[in-house]
Amino acid sequence: MYLRSLHLRQFRNYLDQSVEFSAPKTILVGDNAQGKSNLLEAVELLSTLRSHRTSRDRDLIRDVDAIGQISAQLERDLGSVDLAITLRNSSRRTVALNGQSLRRQLDFLGTLNIVQFSSLDLDLVRGGPEQRRNWLDSLLIQLEPIYASILQQYTHILRQRNALLRQETGVRTQVATSNQPPASELALWDAQLAVAGTRVIRRRSRVVQRIAPLATYWHRQISGSTEELMISYLPNVELQSDDPTIVQQTFLAKIQERAIAEQYQHTTLVGPHRDEVNFSINQTSARQYGSQGQQRTLVLALKLAELKLIEDVIGEPPLLLLDDVLAELDLNRQNQLLDAIQDRFQTLITTTHLGSFDAQWLNSSQVFTVKAGQVL
Amino acid sequence: MIEQLQHLPGIGPKSAQRLALYILKRPEEEVKALAIALMEAKTQVGFCTICFHLSADPICEICRSPNRDSNVLCVVSESKDVIALEKTREYRGKYHVLGGTISPMDGIGPDQLHIQPLVRRVSQQKIEEVIIAISPSVEGETTTLYVGQLLKPFTKVTRIAFGLPMGGDLEYADEVTLARALEGRRELD
Ligand SMILES: Nc1ncnc2c1ncn2[C@@H]1O[C@H](COP(=O)(O)OP(=O)(O)OP(=O)(O)O)[C@@H](O)[C@H]1O
Ligand SMILES: [Mg+2]
Ligand SMILES: [Zn+2]
Repeated sequence: MYLRSLHLRQFRNYLDQSVEFSAPKTILVGDNAQGKSNLLEAVELLSTLRSHRTSRDRDLIRDVDAIGQISAQLERDLGSVDLAITLRNSSRRTVALNGQSLRRQLDFLGTLNIVQFSSLDLDLVRGGPEQRRNWLDSLLIQLEPIYASILQQYTHILRQRNALLRQETGVRTQVATSNQPPASELALWDAQLAVAGTRVIRRRSRVVQRIAPLATYWHRQISGSTEELMISYLPNVELQSDDPTIVQQTFLAKIQERAIAEQYQHTTLVGPHRDEVNFSINQTSARQYGSQGQQRTLVLALKLAELKLIEDVIGEPPLLLLDDVLAELDLNRQNQLLDAIQDRFQTLITTTHLGSFDAQWLNSSQVFTVKAGQVL
Repeated sequence: MIEQLQHLPGIGPKSAQRLALYILKRPEEEVKALAIALMEAKTQVGFCTICFHLSADPICEICRSPNRDSNVLCVVSESKDVIALEKTREYRGKYHVLGGTISPMDGIGPDQLHIQPLVRRVSQQKIEEVIIAISPSVEGETTTLYVGQLLKPFTKVTRIAFGLPMGGDLEYADEVTLARALEGRRELD
């Protein structure tokens, strides 16, 4: 797929800016705080309807009373698609495809596919488990857009259940109602958590199985065949079977087991919000023992694997967004990346200095200067 | 005035401004009539003591009507859902309005809803079927299951399965969808 143009109105520090993309690679160069990442964020929103920097639309709008708009023209194999997101200060955002506004935001997802690689990703291995879960979840949303609503539903149930656990009455006392068999409110939330959570677990497990061999392959390539990467999914609720009813039973049994601890801690201790992903290199935990260089190789391998997996599943190469990260990679890794993407994956790159990475990147690139919310 | 209007559901700052300008342009008589109508409605309309639907009288028209089937009860979360279902003219039974859905985040548990009176109604009267018509949001689902568990010892409990978008309100479902949903209801397990 190819992003032909982008139009930002009242978005972040852009007042009204059109950008035409006319090369496989676009380099956005400029000083700090000029709007480079803002532009990539607009592309991220078009792809996922989420921003990794904020969850409030009002942060995205420039002037308080204005309506923000991101629109774009995308070429796909089947033809060109117009995408548009309208952001409002006090009401819900709306989305449109080819000028048709959509009733369900879910139908907007999956039109534009991206792989994001920013300097923050370099902490993926050493950072907290939440970062690794987010990585998996973002990938899943690209591959299976319905996962966005599955995850949202799980998170929502989790918040409700936690709210109940925080209430005095939320403990496992049963609600007595005249002469009925008592029904426990908490038990109903348990059941819903188990159903929604099982969906999350099964999909996460599936995506790890698919991406692991690709990442192992790339890690071997970049490390010159000296290192063997293993990725494993460690769900909080064990996945002994692929049968959802069995997973739900395991889930509920574990909730029972942790019931007393939950009462004391007033929070949900069981479920995929406590999942972990483990990376090991030559059978040693990369998180604990991996060197800086190994971790960089690993993250790069993950990103290349993401590109390949999305391309395989979608049938078209996704866009690659490199935010501030290229200069962080050494020459060897930069070249590996360049070889892998060639001109096949449209790539948007931000940097503060053109000199900070290999000149080869300038081949087949268009260069824009970003200054105070203007693309020159 | 604009600020007050903005508190109304579905009214943003722009619409509030438009409404305010419109009201200011109308003759004084008309504005007075509107103000009086608002106040009268507020002081006169309360809730039906049987079904908790909005009503000016202690017992609402639907509960009073001899033409409605007293053997069937439809459980909804809000009065607006009664209004939506009434528009279909497909349903001839009576209603019970819960007054919301179970939502611990908002401090709403079963005790904050009209669930006890419902259980009393169903256990003390001869009711052949209870149809639960609550939108399938996370809270709606929990409320449906909760109410279903309590009522099942007394009667047949079904729910209407509507293909509403996630988080969609009954209010927005068109009449055809609702009528079809009523036909396609299934027993709660
Ligand atoms: N809603 C908004 N309205 C106006 N300006 C905004 C808004 N949100 C962010 N900005 C401005 O955008 C700028 C940040 O832009 P951005 O994050 O794109 O910087 P950058 O060019 O990527 O810089 P760096 O090289 O430091 O990463 C800041 O000056 C910030 O004040
Ligand atoms: Mg930046
Ligand atoms: Zn009534």
